[in-house]
Amino acid sequence: MNRCTPVVRVILLVAAFASAFYPRQRVQAAQVAPVVQDPISAAIAHEDAGRYAQAAAAYRQLLAQALASRDEMDQIALALLGLERVWHESAQRDSIVPVVNDVLAQRPGDPVARSIQFRALSAASRDEDLRLAFVAWRRAVPDDAAPWREYVRTLMSMGRPLAADSVLANAARVLGRSSELTGEVAQIAATLDRWNDAAIAWRTTVTEMPWMEMAATFSLQRAPDHARDSIRGVLSAAPVLLLPRRLLATLETGWGDPRRGWAAIASVRTDDSTLTTWTEFAERAEAMGSWSVARDVWRALYERADDPAVGTRAAQASLAAGEPLVTLDLVKRIGKNLSAERRAAELLEIEVQALGELGRAQEAAQRVAAADRYLDDAQRAELARPLVGAWLRAGNVERAREAATRAGALDDDQTIGWLALYDGDLVEARRRLVRAATRDAALTDALAVLARTRTERHEGLGAAFLAVARRDTAGAVERFARIADSLPDAAPALLATAARLAGTMHNTPAAVRYWERVLSQHAQAPEVPEALLELARASVRSGDTAAATRRYESLLIDHQGSAMVPQARRELERLRGRVPEGFGA
Amino acid sequence: MIRVATSLRTTCAVLMMCVMLIVPASLTHAQSLLVPMDDAQRNHLKAYGLAFQAIKSAQRAEWLLNYRGGAFLLPDAADLRRRAALDGISIEPVSDADVARLRSQIAGGNMDAVVLERAPRVAIYRPKDQPPWDDAVTLALTYAGIDFESIWDDDIMRGDLSKYDWVHLHHEDFTGQFNKLYLAYRDAPWFIAQRQRDEATAARFNLPHVPALKKAVADDIRTFVEKGGFLFAMCGATESLDLAMAAFNVDITGPFSDGTPVDSDADARLDWARSFAFRSARIESSPYVNALSDIDGHQVNVPARRQPLGTFSLFDFSAKLDPVAAMLVQNHRTVIPDFFGVTTSFNRAVLKPGVTVLASEPGAPWVKYIHGDYGQGSWTFLGGHDPEDPQHAIGSAPTDLSMHPNSPAYRLILNNVLFPAAKKKPRKT
Repeated sequence: MNRCTPVVRVILLVAAFASAFYPRQRVQAAQVAPVVQDPISAAIAHEDAGRYAQAAAAYRQLLAQALASRDEMDQIALALLGLERVWHESAQRDSIVPVVNDVLAQRPGDPVARSIQFRALSAASRDEDLRLAFVAWRRAVPDDAAPWREYVRTLMSMGRPLAADSVLANAARVLGRSSELTGEVAQIAATLDRWNDAAIAWRTTVTEMPWMEMAATFSLQRAPDHARDSIRGVLSAAPVLLLPRRLLATLETGWGDPRRGWAAIASVRTDDSTLTTWTEFAERAEAMGSWSVARDVWRALYERADDPAVGTRAAQASLAAGEPLVTLDLVKRIGKNLSAERRAAELLEIEVQALGELGRAQEAAQRVAAADRYLDDAQRAELARPLVGAWLRAGNVERAREAATRAGALDDDQTIGWLALYDGDLVEARRRLVRAATRDAALTDALAVLARTRTERHEGLGAAFLAVARRDTAGAVERFARIADSLPDAAPALLATAARLAGTMHNTPAAVRYWERVLSQHAQAPEVPEALLELARASVRSGDTAAATRRYESLLIDHQGSAMVPQARRELERLRGRVPEGFGA
Repeated sequence: MIRVATSLRTTCAVLMMCVMLIVPASLTHAQSLLVPMDDAQRNHLKAYGLAFQAIKSAQRAEWLLNYRGGAFLLPDAADLRRRAALDGISIEPVSDADVARLRSQIAGGNMDAVVLERAPRVAIYRPKDQPPWDDAVTLALTYAGIDFESIWDDDIMRGDLSKYDWVHLHHEDFTGQFNKLYLAYRDAPWFIAQRQRDEATAARFNLPHVPALKKAVADDIRTFVEKGGFLFAMCGATESLDLAMAAFNVDITGPFSDGTPVDSDADARLDWARSFAFRSARIESSPYVNALSDIDGHQVNVPARRQPLGTFSLFDFSAKLDPVAAMLVQNHRTVIPDFFGVTTSFNRAVLKPGVTVLASEPGAPWVKYIHGDYGQGSWTFLGGHDPEDPQHAIGSAPTDLSMHPNSPAYRLILNNVLFPAAKKKPRKT
């Protein structure tokens, strides 16, 4: 090199750079063997490329070096685990046994080597050798729980829970303590359906090892109904500890009763961990739609933390749970410590909705008027719909229209469409509502009725829908059923609406009466399949299997193109006992 | 030559017209229902129930082997149309002319039409109070709406097997070792109840223990097949039945079941002439290894030996020359995902020479689905527990077949229910 000219040196330098940055794939494509310097890299490269024989040789070289240096613990583990993998891939799993035995001759307590040895021996069904290996490990580390734990896990994976159970009993005697093995005790007890023992062991385990909570949940979640009370008793027993109670709360929620779940953690002494647990639980309850539970949790949190944001969530949950009075109470308490501007921004919409639900439209309007100077146009528009709703629930369509006008909501098709409908102006209602930005069940019902009639004005129909808006469901049912005779083209749709509303009130006799009118008076109407399905369900509920079967069969045979057919067929299958209970509708 | 052919065609046409004028209008317009069993079928499993209903009500039914996935040709009867509508079964009304074309097509290919003559009397070996959700055959028959009766040890010991044409066994352990579940579940209430029930039955028949009872039951089943019965077995019943029959005079059960150790020379003394499917298998004598023998290729309950699930392929058979095997493999799929059971598959090495392999996993040393004759009857074994719950475990949720109306593996079970109804005397190639 010393004799190279500068030009040659430059060329060599460029070549060196080029080779260094040349894409790896291109090098492989040219079948140039990877340049590897040490056994670790060589072994991993061979293993990645599926050259298991070469990988095994490299791992053995690495192992030999590590054993010679005597302090390369990581490298011994790396080499052994690598050998286990590559021999497993090349169907020579047994080959690891003599190698690991050599390692153990020098390091009899090495946990990685022992666990590999256990896996190899159990895979080869060498039960007696496995037992001897366990004994040897125990002797090497007499006070350590690791041999017991590994042996128990191995026996469990071999499908021998009773043998594992015996080993655990021995462990408690020999070690003089069992706390380090409670996770294994719990797993075995659950496997053997000994739910009380499992709950006791899991209680200890999650208290000492919180990261095992997920394993405990999976283990106990499948407990049958009759075993759950004993689990509840164990996890909620004194002393009251957060982690077992949190486990119980998760189990109760999974078993379908979030109210009991909240009860499990509500009485735990409050600290930061408890409050975090409550927050997570409240969010889970919201996600499940258990609004009343969510409300209670958020309220409990608010009482401790006095955070308006938390209080607002409690108020929202309360409103969603259908308790506007509680919502107003919360809004009042939260608002005490807030400026008028923040109250308008954070609480006014909830308050207006709650007042609207209670039919206290005048108060709602006063609140909005009082806060007007803190509102911008967007906020006013946002408040228009709940305010209009409040006036409608109070039965005052004129004030509702005024509120809409004042808030500049006259270009809101949904609001104006509903107002037109309540006035009985079916033409304007049809034109506006069909363009509404959102679709909810009430709107769908209204459009279904409007699409079925050519009538241009009908105050009675408007009054029926207004009764729905006023939460006067019974009145709405009566009105819809009554006007069916005066709007013959929409009669089946009106009767179906009456029947559905009666169903929501659990007024089964009325619902059945209206569905039967659909069948008897409008046999060709599109509502007939729904009528048949609902009548069949009513018959199932009343225990009249024969009538239910007749209705289902009529739907399946006479209305084969109906979207209700798959559901009806499933329900009929269940009625006949041809699919398991608990499935289906 | 062309002129002769043209003239012949003209004559035929004239004759056909004359025939159509003479034959009453009602007959010329008679129709049938074709129940397709290819991908046009919305509910394959219920379609078997429809065919079963037709033969049960003494209507003519034909099974069109290898035609559109093994379609059925049924009369266009109101009750059948009604049931098809109720069950969501796809049917295609066809005219006599369509049927004639269809028959011509069948005559020219590896297809055949088999008349289904009489609804077989079906029995399932299961405790009478057991819910139907833990046995693939009970599930399939219940869902398809095929009538069956439950028979259990007492009935068989009283000789009731002769009342039936078709008997099904599922995961019963006929060696009397409770599938070696004693090791893991001896304290479980359901296991204790099962054990007490079987011990009480053994005592009623003056038999010393459960293995003796189950061997006696197995021998009655062997006699049933020998005299012309049809047997279909799945899961652990396949392996344990053959072992129990071969071990009629040998103790192959551990002391936890009969109080005495396994005979030291048990393997050598097994009498394989008494078994249906297997020979030269070796029993697993260790009570700690949850396997009965080396018959099963997958050994699901022995972690060290467990083999992964793959897929199995159904073989093609000549519909005209080997109709029985052809019936048993009728399907709209030929490659089917495998599923575990106490016995999942059967090692080729232990199959008897005359056994017909109906399905196997390509390249694997085991087969999945086998059939054979014994005496005047025949038997079929299908490995695995529940085709739509491949990793089924004790306590798993029951399978809802309305979620699997096109299950190809469940079709194999239902093929077995219908084939005893076939009129044609089977001829083996």
